[in-house]
Amino acid sequence: MRLEPTSWPILAAGVAATLAIPLITQDGYIIQLLNIAILNAIVVLGLNFVTGWAGQINFGQAAFYGLGAYTTAIASKAGLPWITTPLLSAVVVIAASLMLGLPTMRLRTYYLAMTTIGFGEIIRLIIVHWEPVTGGTSGLRAIPGISVFGVGPQGQAQHYYLLVAALALAVTVAMRVRRSALGRAMIATRDSEIAAEQSGVDTTRTKLLAFMIGAVYAGLAGCLYASSIRFISPDSFSGTQAILLMTMLIVGGMGSIAGSIGGAIALTLLPEALRFLGQWYLVLYGLGVIAVIVLAPGGLASVASLSQWRRAGVR
Amino acid sequence: MTADTIIAARGVTRRFGGLVALDAIDLDVPKGIVQAVIGPNGSGKTTLLNALSGASHADAGSIRIGGEEIFRLKPHRIARLGLARTFQNIRIFDNLSVLENVKVAAACNRPTRFFDILTSSARHRQSESDIDLAAREALATIGLAQRADDRATQLPYAQRRLLEIARALASKPNVLLLDEPAAGMNMTESMTLLDTIAKLKGRGITILLVEHNVRLVMGISDRVTVLDFGKKIAEGTPSEIQRNPLVIEAYLGRRHRHA
Repeated sequence: MRLEPTSWPILAAGVAATLAIPLITQDGYIIQLLNIAILNAIVVLGLNFVTGWAGQINFGQAAFYGLGAYTTAIASKAGLPWITTPLLSAVVVIAASLMLGLPTMRLRTYYLAMTTIGFGEIIRLIIVHWEPVTGGTSGLRAIPGISVFGVGPQGQAQHYYLLVAALALAVTVAMRVRRSALGRAMIATRDSEIAAEQSGVDTTRTKLLAFMIGAVYAGLAGCLYASSIRFISPDSFSGTQAILLMTMLIVGGMGSIAGSIGGAIALTLLPEALRFLGQWYLVLYGLGVIAVIVLAPGGLASVASLSQWRRAGVR
Repeated sequence: MTADTIIAARGVTRRFGGLVALDAIDLDVPKGIVQAVIGPNGSGKTTLLNALSGASHADAGSIRIGGEEIFRLKPHRIARLGLARTFQNIRIFDNLSVLENVKVAAACNRPTRFFDILTSSARHRQSESDIDLAAREALATIGLAQRADDRATQLPYAQRRLLEIARALASKPNVLLLDEPAAGMNMTESMTLLDTIAKLKGRGITILLVEHNVRLVMGISDRVTVLDFGKKIAEGTPSEIQRNPLVIEAYLGRRHRHA
């Protein structure tokens, strides 16, 4: 996690390139795709707290994403000012994560995975069947956009910059947690729950906190999704999406902030980049994911850090 | 139980199915000494240690640490009351650095508030720098200071054992439980370990030592408790224990026959 002095130019170049993208391409479709990639990156960063650090398998992350999106859509369509929607979304996902987390954080591995799958299914079924409020399978359209006292981003490019700023904030919080006693307690809990307990770590509280922080990341990303894409449907928050989010984390690198972002962006853009292959794109996509998992079990992040170690060895 | 008793266990019993792993054990450990628990394989040494630390609770009995009843308390609560331990099969945090491993325990009695982390408040930064200081001090005591920034998995076996002791030490315990700390160590490493244990005793930490290596135990311990089949069969000074016919039969005798 420590940034070496040599990595600053790389970071600066990355930031410059990120900010230059809307200047280079005027294609609204590409920017829209990048916007979704950034939102996914925030959700996967959230998943990294629970699964990457605290080691708890969570297939409920897509449901928290959906809860945030639907809360925002319903509230802003009902006429509430936009500024209230991030707050409302956060309150809803915190309540939901407490309801799910309090009884289940004592569970382990498969049992927790199954419970979170069940939770995701319940949320999806509510969305599909509560038609008068959620629009059912056809979703909600014409969701009011982001606007703070009448000022808000116009067009794809401005939304892009806003979402990049949101991602930067999400990364800052994740880095602060990683460098704090809470972040170390999360990783200790994953590595050895009993040794963590005997070192004074309340592992149940630590897991619950990781779960809640992850849910808030997803809920706020959902809020931004609804008010920047302005159309939502249950498909975007289904069980398939939950598995995709987990795949992004695994391919990017469990426990790595850069890996979480890289995995989310790569797996959001790749299907579109491979679209020219027609039906064959899924084959290549699947093979790519398998290749990363087999050749670099630590994900893309482990490949990057390995080359860093090699360089250190030479020096 | 006198005022100077730091561990006072009464009738500690642990069953695994039909097997009675601990059979109504009484144990008193006076403050500031090194007390060893020895016994043949399967005699209940580690089970006793797990019961004391809360890792695997006893089914019945009473355990007081410094006067506080800890029976069935969660392990982190027991740790915060000043009891730390190491593990027979090493359990370090593989995904943390050497220093961070120790920092986990150094944060033992410092509650973290998420809001403080978010805002990186002055209180948070002070707490983190206190944790850093305590962790580095523990590493220095154990002689691992120069490995602070390495990944914990890069340490050789014997140093991982030392890392566990440093981690236990960082929580500033009154009582330290060591589960076979010399296992897998060579002669030199064991001698260094003995020096370290003596140093910790000098700081007023009470040490309860579970050990297989009887010779190692006799040199360092003030008192020795002998377990056999989950029962306490003897207790006394090392020389008393070495002369005790019950112990020789249960433990040393059997050992000599094999040798």
